[in-house]
Amino acid sequence: MDHPDTASTSGIVLEGVRKEFPGGVVAVRDISLEVQPGELVVLVGPSGCGKSTTLRMVAGLEAVTAGEVRIAGRVVTGLPPRHRDIAMIFQNYALYAHMTVRANMGFGLKMAGTPKRETRARVDQAADILGITDLLDRKPRQLSGGQRQRVAMGRAIVREPAAFLMDEPLSNLDAKLRVEMRAEILNVHRRIGAPTLYVTHDQTEAMTMGDRVAILRDGALEQIGTPLELYERPGTVFVAGFIGSPAMNLLPVTLERSGDGWYASVGGSRVLIPPRARAALRPFAGHEVLLGLRPEDFVSTENMRDGEHGVIQVTTARAESLGSELVVYFSINGAAASRPLTARLDRRTAVREGTSTRIGVDLERLYFFDPESGAAIR
Amino acid sequence: MTHSSAARLLRTVAIAATILWSLAPIGLGVATSLSTQADVQAVPARWLPGHATLDPYRSLLGGTSGSHAGGTVSESGAFAHAMWNSASITLMSTLAILCVAISAGYASARLRFPGCGALFRAIVATTVVPVFTVVIALFQLMADAHLIDHKLGLVLVFVSTTTPLAMWLVHNHVKELPAEPEEAALIDGCTRWQAFRHVVVPQMRSGIAALSALVVLSVWGEFLIPLLLTSTSAGKPVTVLIPEYVGKYTTNYPLLAAAGILALLPPAIVALVLNRHVRGMLSGSS
Amino acid sequence: MGSDILTREVHPGGAPSGPRRPVDLAAREATRAGMLMMAPAVVTTATLVIYPLVRGFQTSLESGDAAVGGQPHFVGLRNYGEVLGSSTARDATVHTLSYVALAVTLELALGLIVAVALHRTFRGRGIVLAILILPCALPSVVSGVLWRRVFDPDSGLLNSVLEQLHILSQPQVWLAGRGWALAFITLVHVWGVLPLVSLILIAGLQSIPEEVYSASAVDGATPLRQFRHITLPLLRPSIAVTLTVGTVWATKIFDEIYVLNGTALNTRSILMEVYNTTFVNADFAHGTALAFMLTAVTALFAAVYAVTFRRSTT
Repeated sequence: MDHPDTASTSGIVLEGVRKEFPGGVVAVRDISLEVQPGELVVLVGPSGCGKSTTLRMVAGLEAVTAGEVRIAGRVVTGLPPRHRDIAMIFQNYALYAHMTVRANMGFGLKMAGTPKRETRARVDQAADILGITDLLDRKPRQLSGGQRQRVAMGRAIVREPAAFLMDEPLSNLDAKLRVEMRAEILNVHRRIGAPTLYVTHDQTEAMTMGDRVAILRDGALEQIGTPLELYERPGTVFVAGFIGSPAMNLLPVTLERSGDGWYASVGGSRVLIPPRARAALRPFAGHEVLLGLRPEDFVSTENMRDGEHGVIQVTTARAESLGSELVVYFSINGAAASRPLTARLDRRTAVREGTSTRIGVDLERLYFFDPESGAAIR
Repeated sequence: MTHSSAARLLRTVAIAATILWSLAPIGLGVATSLSTQADVQAVPARWLPGHATLDPYRSLLGGTSGSHAGGTVSESGAFAHAMWNSASITLMSTLAILCVAISAGYASARLRFPGCGALFRAIVATTVVPVFTVVIALFQLMADAHLIDHKLGLVLVFVSTTTPLAMWLVHNHVKELPAEPEEAALIDGCTRWQAFRHVVVPQMRSGIAALSALVVLSVWGEFLIPLLLTSTSAGKPVTVLIPEYVGKYTTNYPLLAAAGILALLPPAIVALVLNRHVRGMLSGSS
Repeated sequence: MGSDILTREVHPGGAPSGPRRPVDLAAREATRAGMLMMAPAVVTTATLVIYPLVRGFQTSLESGDAAVGGQPHFVGLRNYGEVLGSSTARDATVHTLSYVALAVTLELALGLIVAVALHRTFRGRGIVLAILILPCALPSVVSGVLWRRVFDPDSGLLNSVLEQLHILSQPQVWLAGRGWALAFITLVHVWGVLPLVSLILIAGLQSIPEEVYSASAVDGATPLRQFRHITLPLLRPSIAVTLTVGTVWATKIFDEIYVLNGTALNTRSILMEVYNTTFVNADFAHGTALAFMLTAVTALFAAVYAVTFRRSTT
């Protein structure tokens, strides 16, 4: 397969892609993104956000209402799937139940008229890579979930496609198998080398597998970037709350000036706002903004350091020990309604439920959001 | 429902009664078909023949003498020919109906093209039109096309009467099947036709078996339509021939019974072999 | 590459994108395939159902001159009027209504018994169900043939058994009268239809979750009360289907009547009357009129059932 190497013409390109269903429901609104050759981009979002519909439009299984889709430089919008040179893995494996594994894997080549000998060779090779050579003569119903997914991947490898699409391939597998198959999928992706678009609802999967992650909400692209970018610099409240588990604490706080310093009042406590952030926050002085605090950015009383950490008075509600760390649920003292706060603390921290204590939050890790638009204040 | 022993006894009785009620008439028919006229006309009537004899079958199939009905002699080989007619008409009709219904049912379920919903509903709606309402005009149509007493005429009529229901059954069955293998086939290089042929039809295997069984039973048992559309023994299926053995005054019961037993063998065998599929379709079509 | 919201990643050398509404070749292919696949069904239905239906209706509105070689002319609803006035048609209607009432009642009663007995698993259930289906699989002409010997006045088994039990003193011609003739023909019909009805009711019974019975048993319900207050209400959809199917099939009784009693007036159903009028008397005009009236009545029944049971069908 010859792919042109210019970055501008290879890969998967979506431009202004829109999907409207009869009756007026807009499932996908003007999404534009580009998957570079060799890159794996994850489409992630809550159910109903349009990620599967988008993937299916790239595959040709769903008609595009407006916009353009290009694969390896060719405009493929409106073309039937077989003309797009793609391979796809489905959540339910979608194997041909009446055919053997070998026939499943060779089906695409057979349709393309490939000579039998070559088909056989390529199927054998793919089976070898995936470790399913001894399954070649079995039927899908005799295989486990993990094995079926491997056969599905084998079907894709054999085709040597220009683009690789995956629709929640791990969702039907149990947790342990999922971790193993993640590595398998990444191997296959690297082996094929084709640009890959991967859909999932699981943010952990997105963060661990994607070179870049695109977060979708209500049919629109909320933010796209590397996992680290999304974690460190979420552009909206939605992204901030979506990435990271347990989710970021989002507290409505009022900004006050007191003397030389700016403070965010968190319940009865005041947290000093670093000077860097002041400029962006100036328009919001005296108003309420959303303060985002990640659970992992808290420290217990013992580990607090003056000037590095802001102090918040809290009462311990409940603590869950995961062995490796403690997840502690606090309520903020002095807050109008009982505001919960989740923190991940060192496993040796002493906690007593029902007692009042102080926790520190890393002042370098304060996130601010406009409560009306949801946009990050930077 | 409690499982008391009284309940269980009642249930056993009900099951036995069901078996008896279902098989008794058939058993009676078999017994009669192995009797002589004397056995049948004896007073009091004898359920079982004194000595079982295969004469009724011999005269039926041998077809030379063997008087029946109002005394006319059965044409030689007429019964065997009628069985052959039934078999070939049933086979041709079943194949035709399967082709038409499977492709139409699939198309309406998966290939949503503009207008297919309306067409589908219109065709299925004709299920409620009773056959006899169209049969008169149909008769004239067939007569003009010289298809009376011609097997093709019967096949065409059976196709038109059975297709709406068959298509509806296929449509529902296809809707239950997972769509992803078909999509995978499209991605793997298939046109719509190829995906249909290589993936969807094999997926439908059990549904097709059930449908075939139902169609075979339905076509083989048809009476009114062939009664009207056939005139000579050249074209008559066995269902039309048998009532001719019923005489106005006397009836040769052993012969009649033998004819009935032979005529019920093919559908009975189909029903027994494919009974699970038939059951599924019968209860599914409600 | 920033990570700002709603990044529009347009590739360098950004030419404007293609046409606003892309030409959908995939959809076109699906449409073409779909139309070709539906065509045979559409053609056969149009030519062999719709056309004759329309033509038949036209015939019912014309005089019957064609039968005697004249030119038929339009007479409007005169044929319908004449048919309504005909005594044979009226009798046939009464007979058909009797058939329907009797058949549906028997089917429902017997069907429920069979369904209750057979819906749970037991050893040999598969075989019993296979046997159950047999009467339905046979041509109804053959059913008539099998039962005929039972009712024959001279050599019939019913007569002989009843005489032996001294219930009768002389053989009865069962199929000559009114009541018994209709009853026995209905019996033969029910014999053939019961398997289907039983299967429908079995499916309905199997859809009732076990927990409902367990919960009621805890509340102290006896089997009889369970049946009345749980089973029957939850079976309403299946019973509705049974009534509809049973009615439609009972109005179409023909083969059994033909084999057992021919076109005799005392057992004639409307369909038999249509047959007689059209093909024995060669009166196409009146025959079609009657046929359309029967169709209307059947449709009415089905509609009544549908409306009555609409609430219970999900």
